[in-house]
Amino acid sequence: MCVTLPSGAVVIEVADERLWLLPERAVFWPTRQTLLVADLHLGKPAAFRAAALPVPEATTNADLDRLSAAIERTQANRLIILGDLVHARSGQTPRTIRAVADWRERHRSLDVTLVLGNHDKRCGEPPSEWAMETVDDVRIEPPFVWRHRPDEHAAGYVIAGHIHPVAVLAGRGRDRLRLRCFAVGPRRMILPAFGSFTGGAIGAPETGDRVFVVADDQVVEAARTE
Amino acid sequence: MTARKWFAQQGWKPFAFQEEAWAAFRAGASGLIHAPTGMGKTYAVWMGLLEQAVAALPARRGPRVQTHGRPSADLKRKLTDPLTALWVTPLRALAADTAAALERPVRDFELPWSVETRTGDTSSTIRSRQRERLPTVLVTTPESLTLLLTKPNPGELFAHLKAIVIDEWHELFSSKRGVQVELALGRLRRWRPDLRVWGLSATIGNLDDALRALAPHQSGGPEAVLVPNADQIKGAPRPVLIRGLVPKRIDVDALIPEVIERLPWAGHLGARQIPAVIDELATVSSSLVFANTRSFAEHWYRAILTHRPEWEGKIGLHHGSIDHKQRSRVEADLRDGSLRAVVCTSSLDLGVDFGPVERVLQIGSPKGVARLIQRAGRSGHRPYALSRATCVPTHAFELVEIAALRKAVDANWIEERTPPSKPMDVLLQHLGTCALGGGFDDTLLEELRGTIGYANLSEGEWQWAVDFLSSGGRSLHAYPEHHRIELIDGRYQMPNGAIARRHRMAIGTIDAAAAVNVQFLRGAALGTVEEDFIARLKPGDAFLFAGRLLELVRLHDMTAWVRKTRKPQGAVPRWMGGRLPLSSELAAAVRDRLDEAKRGVFIGEEMAAVEPVLVRQGEWSELPGRNELLVERFHSRDGWHLFVYPFESRPVHEGLAALLALRLSRRRSITFSIAANDYGFELLSPDPPPFDHDRLAEHFDRGRLADDLDEALNSGELARRQFREIARIAGLVFPGFPGAKTSARHLQASSSLFFEVFRNYDPDNLLLKQAEQEVLQRQLEGGRLVTTLDRLRDSEVLFVDLPRPSPMSFPLIVDRLRDKLSSEKLADRIRKMQVQYDAEDRTLVRNR
Repeated sequence: MCVTLPSGAVVIEVADERLWLLPERAVFWPTRQTLLVADLHLGKPAAFRAAALPVPEATTNADLDRLSAAIERTQANRLIILGDLVHARSGQTPRTIRAVADWRERHRSLDVTLVLGNHDKRCGEPPSEWAMETVDDVRIEPPFVWRHRPDEHAAGYVIAGHIHPVAVLAGRGRDRLRLRCFAVGPRRMILPAFGSFTGGAIGAPETGDRVFVVADDQVVEAARTE
Repeated sequence: MTARKWFAQQGWKPFAFQEEAWAAFRAGASGLIHAPTGMGKTYAVWMGLLEQAVAALPARRGPRVQTHGRPSADLKRKLTDPLTALWVTPLRALAADTAAALERPVRDFELPWSVETRTGDTSSTIRSRQRERLPTVLVTTPESLTLLLTKPNPGELFAHLKAIVIDEWHELFSSKRGVQVELALGRLRRWRPDLRVWGLSATIGNLDDALRALAPHQSGGPEAVLVPNADQIKGAPRPVLIRGLVPKRIDVDALIPEVIERLPWAGHLGARQIPAVIDELATVSSSLVFANTRSFAEHWYRAILTHRPEWEGKIGLHHGSIDHKQRSRVEADLRDGSLRAVVCTSSLDLGVDFGPVERVLQIGSPKGVARLIQRAGRSGHRPYALSRATCVPTHAFELVEIAALRKAVDANWIEERTPPSKPMDVLLQHLGTCALGGGFDDTLLEELRGTIGYANLSEGEWQWAVDFLSSGGRSLHAYPEHHRIELIDGRYQMPNGAIARRHRMAIGTIDAAAAVNVQFLRGAALGTVEEDFIARLKPGDAFLFAGRLLELVRLHDMTAWVRKTRKPQGAVPRWMGGRLPLSSELAAAVRDRLDEAKRGVFIGEEMAAVEPVLVRQGEWSELPGRNELLVERFHSRDGWHLFVYPFESRPVHEGLAALLALRLSRRRSITFSIAANDYGFELLSPDPPPFDHDRLAEHFDRGRLADDLDEALNSGELARRQFREIARIAGLVFPGFPGAKTSARHLQASSSLFFEVFRNYDPDNLLLKQAEQEVLQRQLEGGRLVTTLDRLRDSEVLFVDLPRPSPMSFPLIVDRLRDKLSSEKLADRIRKMQVQYDAEDRTLVRNR
């Protein structure tokens, strides 16, 4: 199956493979029809609410809708979640479980793999109705290595999350912007956090990384100072 | 014992205003006494209260309990009267001194009273003793008072309360802390309708408003004010405004350098003035050196010691972030004369009666008339006759401000202070407090409307606040599982222990969220710095704090462990909210001076001294006269600079700059970065700005002002920044539990994340509206903005293309605090930008 490059996406080449960086904050690997996302932190609003911190519920559905949009725009038949699908045990409310189960129902034929992140591990196995295969630490699928933490790996090019990278851009006239980004290095790349209710870490892209920022509905490569 | 007799015993003669206050107290009135600090206001109100207590005494005179031998301290305490008076002070450092001053006459009046303090500094032993039984007189802070309201039976605690005194009310009145006090007063009045409320205040422009906020029910306030149990207070006399002792004359002068060219055009440290200041300090035995910010105070303290190492131990440093023990030591040393000078900030504007010092120096412009009068009041050989303050200009234009100040002081142009109007964040916090303190029902709305701050709280706003706490929002669906308060037996309560604990810890409206303690590895706590600052240091780096050069050893659990170092120099911490804006009264006086200068009139030493600089400004560019607006344009490597000089104040200029940037960007797609100071603002853009001086009326039109500002601020960052404080007060983000860091970690989110989520998914959230409103009213001084627009629209524009920066533009060019406004597509903008690797703020909560 072949789809055209969705609007707002850019193509990069790593490990001799082409990857699409999508403004939905996801990566698509056309060779294997595989969509990659990281750090959804589902249930984080619910965990906050359980502790009497008011966060609107709408973020969960908005995030799942964006995930559906990425799946539909790329015709992906497989989804790999690079860790931190869920946020905390207290966020695993029936409503959150239901929302994900409903979403799963909409994409019944989709193959979903969850590489467990540090937050997932604190929440136990995902509910069975989410129908996900879980991977404990590292999954090698040459030329790539899927994992949560972006540590390099001898077996291949690492694609990871965990960091929630954010880039600070500066322009002439002292213009400044702070945006979520993909940090693409020679041996590993880090995805931006997918979840809406997540923070970011400035300075996460390291020197030598190519930085692709998510600007509204477009991914843009940012120039770098040397 | 009577007040007069006690005064006679001390060898004092009461002032007329003190007798006036005692009489008013006898008549049962509430009131406000205003005068500069340290002029006998404390005893003016305190004696009234003591007299009344004594009058009530004879009925039960004589030993009530027979004890064998000496009664233990514990028993003595139990024999004292229950909580009768509250004394609220804004600075906890003042509490101990105040308590001592109050206790002195208590013994002589032979009252069975105990006087104690209860603040954030009170030890846990005393706290637990007070949990058993409160003292007769409690000296406390607004925060600790509110904490008392969270007790399950607050009505019983205050059952015998007769009077409450709010010290330094001028300082609290215009802040959210003042609103917090008003809300507490509302609570207390419900339980004690005949409570007397007295305020002590420095002189401000709108004392009537300050009085009405203290005693709204007796002031015939706005029609809408409803008072619970109104019939019970009908008999009380109307509250009184009592004018205390005001110095007969206030002298303002300046330390003018011999060669004016030696003063820089910009900058704020005034390093070149250090030798002159030292010469002044050397001629007298005691002086106060006021700096406008804590950072400058640190700089100046260090600089003086570097020039005069032999003064080590002879000069002190005093500011709000220094540990209270160290501050008390400095105050005590100042009092007994063992310090020749203290470098301080507004921390010594308030309270602390240490007797007048010989000399008051003010580094830089004090930026306001009232502030200068208050500081000048600290000096004088003949108290109550003459006060004098010497300003030390740190850059050339401050000479103009000082000349303007003298005029304003002579004309008695004292600034008004505007309290916040129904802040929702403070309301949410207060509802939590009421839920804990016995719960609340719909009658609380009436109580709230009885305060000036919430007199026009609408039914809808009230309902929103209750909903937000109980279910998160009007629609239950929006915020499931969220219950900060719950309706139990018809009353909203806070039954969850963890939530209640968090609420108590978060009480207050001072933004202390990011305070890191600074402490010696073995030994004393030095005070607090902001997390932003300390996060940028690595272990081994040196920094200047509490007058000492320190080396950071490690940062652990919100404490920076340090040791002394001999490194040549270190960074100086900055604290938020440091910069004081020019007051409107002073700004008008500054414009008058410039108008004179344009006409070649230079009156007074300061104007004569600054003449060469102003003449140069006139030669290179123009000087703006009355009804003229100077606009300069300049091209540099950074881009196109457009300078506009309304001479109003930094907050107003920030608003004007955002407005002008938006309106210009509608004509052409462009990105501006904005800088503002008290004299004007700069719009800096990569391309020439489409500014057209013939279209001034259009640029500064006040039609659509609210909408345009709204749009400008949404694109800008002001509202997001303002939301930080709101999120903390409303209890959305919290500093964290001590000793429980890791378990709370997954519940940390930055205020900007909340801001983002609310904006996207709950746009009607009233806290968002409050952020916008606060930016408009408090940051940009909305009312002033409108009058300034009117003034500018009618001005004649002097437009100058500069070949090089003019003296006036220079400070704006070097300003580093900037805001942005853009009408370009984000992606287009990014293509012109570069990634910055020197991450400036690593302090965001990293929540992975």
